[in-house]
Amino acid sequence: MFEITVVGESQGSELVSSTLEACHVASKLSNALGVNWRIIVDEDAANSAINYGSEVISYSIGEEHKQSPDVIASTVTEILEPTKVIVMAATSTGKDLMGRIAQLLSAPLAQDCIGFEIDSGDVLFKRELYGGKVLANVKLSGSPILASFRPRSFTPIDRLDTPAVAQLHSIDILLSEPTVILKPRSQKENLDVTEASIVVSGGRGLQGPENWTILEELTDALGPTATLACSRPVSDEGWRPHNEHVGQTGRSISPDLYIAVGISGATQHIAGISGSKFILAINKDPDAPIFRVADYGIVGDLFQIVPELTSAIRNAHTI
Amino acid sequence: MNIAVCVKQTADTESIPKLSSDQSHVSDEGIVWIINPHDESAIEIAIRLRDQCNGSVTLFSIGPERVESALRQGLSMGADEAVHLLTDAMPIDQKIIAELLARRLKSQNIDVIITGEVAIDGGGAQVPQRLAKLLHWSCVTAVEELHIEATSFTARQPVEQGDKIHEGQLPAVIGINRRIMEPRYPSFKGIMKAKRKEIVKESVELESPSYSIESLRLSAPRSEGKVVTYQQGVVDKTIKFLQEKTSVI
Ligand SMILES: Cc1cc2nc3c(=O)[nH]c(=O)nc-3n(C[C@H](O)[C@H](O)[C@H](O)COP(=O)(O)OP(=O)(O)OC[C@H]3O[C@@H](n4cnc5c(N)ncnc54)[C@H](O)[C@@H]3O)c2cc1C
Repeated sequence: MFEITVVGESQGSELVSSTLEACHVASKLSNALGVNWRIIVDEDAANSAINYGSEVISYSIGEEHKQSPDVIASTVTEILEPTKVIVMAATSTGKDLMGRIAQLLSAPLAQDCIGFEIDSGDVLFKRELYGGKVLANVKLSGSPILASFRPRSFTPIDRLDTPAVAQLHSIDILLSEPTVILKPRSQKENLDVTEASIVVSGGRGLQGPENWTILEELTDALGPTATLACSRPVSDEGWRPHNEHVGQTGRSISPDLYIAVGISGATQHIAGISGSKFILAINKDPDAPIFRVADYGIVGDLFQIVPELTSAIRNAHTI
Repeated sequence: MNIAVCVKQTADTESIPKLSSDQSHVSDEGIVWIINPHDESAIEIAIRLRDQCNGSVTLFSIGPERVESALRQGLSMGADEAVHLLTDAMPIDQKIIAELLARRLKSQNIDVIITGEVAIDGGGAQVPQRLAKLLHWSCVTAVEELHIEATSFTARQPVEQGDKIHEGQLPAVIGINRRIMEPRYPSFKGIMKAKRKEIVKESVELESPSYSIESLRLSAPRSEGKVVTYQQGVVDKTIKFLQEKTSVI
C-alpha cells in the first residue's frame, strides 16, 4: 500500500524542480511515518521521474488534455490507490490542481505550506497567515489529506542510483470542455521568480523600463541561479511582465538572497518576500520601511550603487 | 445574466494581528476589516458584466455579524443584493465554506460565480475549485483576463510557463486575481442607495472541521538589520557581509 503520493508537474519530459522538492517532502514523510511513497506523473515525464522515485505511476491523457486541470485532477483521483497524504508543489498549476483533487476526494487541503512536523503520529503542516505575520501549525483530519508546498521550502531530492520502472495507466477521458491551451511565454526566458536562489527586484525608484539594464547586468553577474522581480506598480505600468510581480497580489518567494532596489517596502510587498533568507535593500530614503525588514541596507542612489555592486561581484568571482 | 460574488471579510493588510490570550486564534481586537482585495475586484468585474448584459449581482458572505459591513460596502459599489450566511465565528475550513456556499447557491438561479482566487489572511486558495466540483460546473482560477458571452467564457490564467487560455460554457466558477482590475470606490449615491437595501440573513451551523489550527505564533520580527549610508568602500563591505551571511555569493 502506498501511503504518500506526489502529484508531479513536468515541463516537456522533465519534472520541474519544485516537484523534486515535493518528492523530498514525501521521502522525509515516508521515513518519519514508515510508509512508502510514489510519484504520479504524465507519461511524458515518466523517464525523468524514475530517477527520483522508486515507484512511478504514469498516465496517458492525450495532447489536447495536457493543460486541463479538470482532466488531470480526475485522472489522478482515478488511479490513486489508497493514499494517506497527497503532496504537490504550490506552483500556480499545483495550487489549482490540488483544490480540485481535494474536493473530488472530499478531503482537507493546506496550500502553500513551508514545512511540516510529526506530532504523535499526526502530520502538522506549517503555513504563513496574514501575509507572513502569523505562523500556524495546521492539522488535517481524515484520510487522505492534501498539502502543497511553497517552492524552495525544501531542497530537491537526490537522484536514485538505479532508476525505477514506471507503470503506465491509460485513461478514457469523457470531458470535452473547457478546452485549455498553454501560450508559452515569449520574452527571453528568465528563471521563474519562485525558483531562483537570488532575486534582484526593482521598484518605482528605477524610474522607467529603460533603466532595467543595470538590474539585468547585476542579475547576470550573480550567475544562473539569479533572476529578476519587481514591485506591483512596476508591472502595472507595464515596465516589467506580471509574472515578475511579487507581493500580496503577486508571487510569494523564498530566495536565499533578495535584493530590493528602489522599493519602498509597503506591507503588501513584504507579504510576498517574508520567506527570504537574506534581504539586501538599496534605497535613497533612510526612512523607507524596507530597511525595517532588510538584513543589510544601503542608503543612497541606486544608479550609483547598483553598477558598482555589479562590478564588485564580477571581481569577487574572478579572484 | 445572474452573477453571484462570494466575498470574504479579511483583516486589512496594515492591521497588526495579535493572538487571543489562549493563543488559539488571531484576536479581532484592533483589526480594521476590509473586503478581501481579490474579492473586491471580483465585485468590480461582476458589476461591469451586469451593466453590459443586464441581470443582477448577488453577494454571498459567511461569517459573524461584523461581515455585514463588507456586504454593505459591496452594495454601495453597485451590487444588487446581498446574502449573509451568519455564523458565530469565521470558519477557517475551506471545505466547509465551499459546501455551505454550494448548498446555498444551488437554490438560486445563477449563471456565473465570481470570487477571489485566495483570501489574503488565511491563504486558502481552494474555494473556487471546490465550489465548482460541488456544483459540477467548470472552473478557472487565478484569472487575470476574462470575457463572458451569453453562454460561454474565455479566461486567461498565468502559470509559471506562460498563460493558460481556458474556453468553456457557463455556468462556471471564476476565481480572479486582483490584477484583473482595480475596484471602484463607492459613489455617494451608491452609499445612500446601499443604506436602504436589505441584507438577507440566514443562520448556518458549522460542521466539525477537518482543517484546524493546532498552534499559532506571531512571526519573529526580522532581526534588526544593519543600515549603512553609501560612501567609498561600502559596496566592498556589503559583498564581504553577503559572503559571510549567505551561501550564494
Ligand atoms: C490591495 C493592494 C494590493 C497590493 N499588492 C501589492 C503587491 O503584491 N506587491 C507590491 O509590490 N505592491 C502591492 N501593492 C502596492 C503597495 O501598496 C505599494 O504601493 C508598492 O509596493 C510600492 O511600490 P514601489 O516600492 O516600487 O514604489 P514606491 O513606494 O514609490 O517606492 C519607490 C522607492 O524608491 C526609492 N527611490 C527613488 N529613487 C531612488 C534612487 N535614485 N535611488 C534609491 N532609491 C530610490 C524611494 O525612496 C522609494 O522608497 C498593493 C496595494 C494594494 C492596495
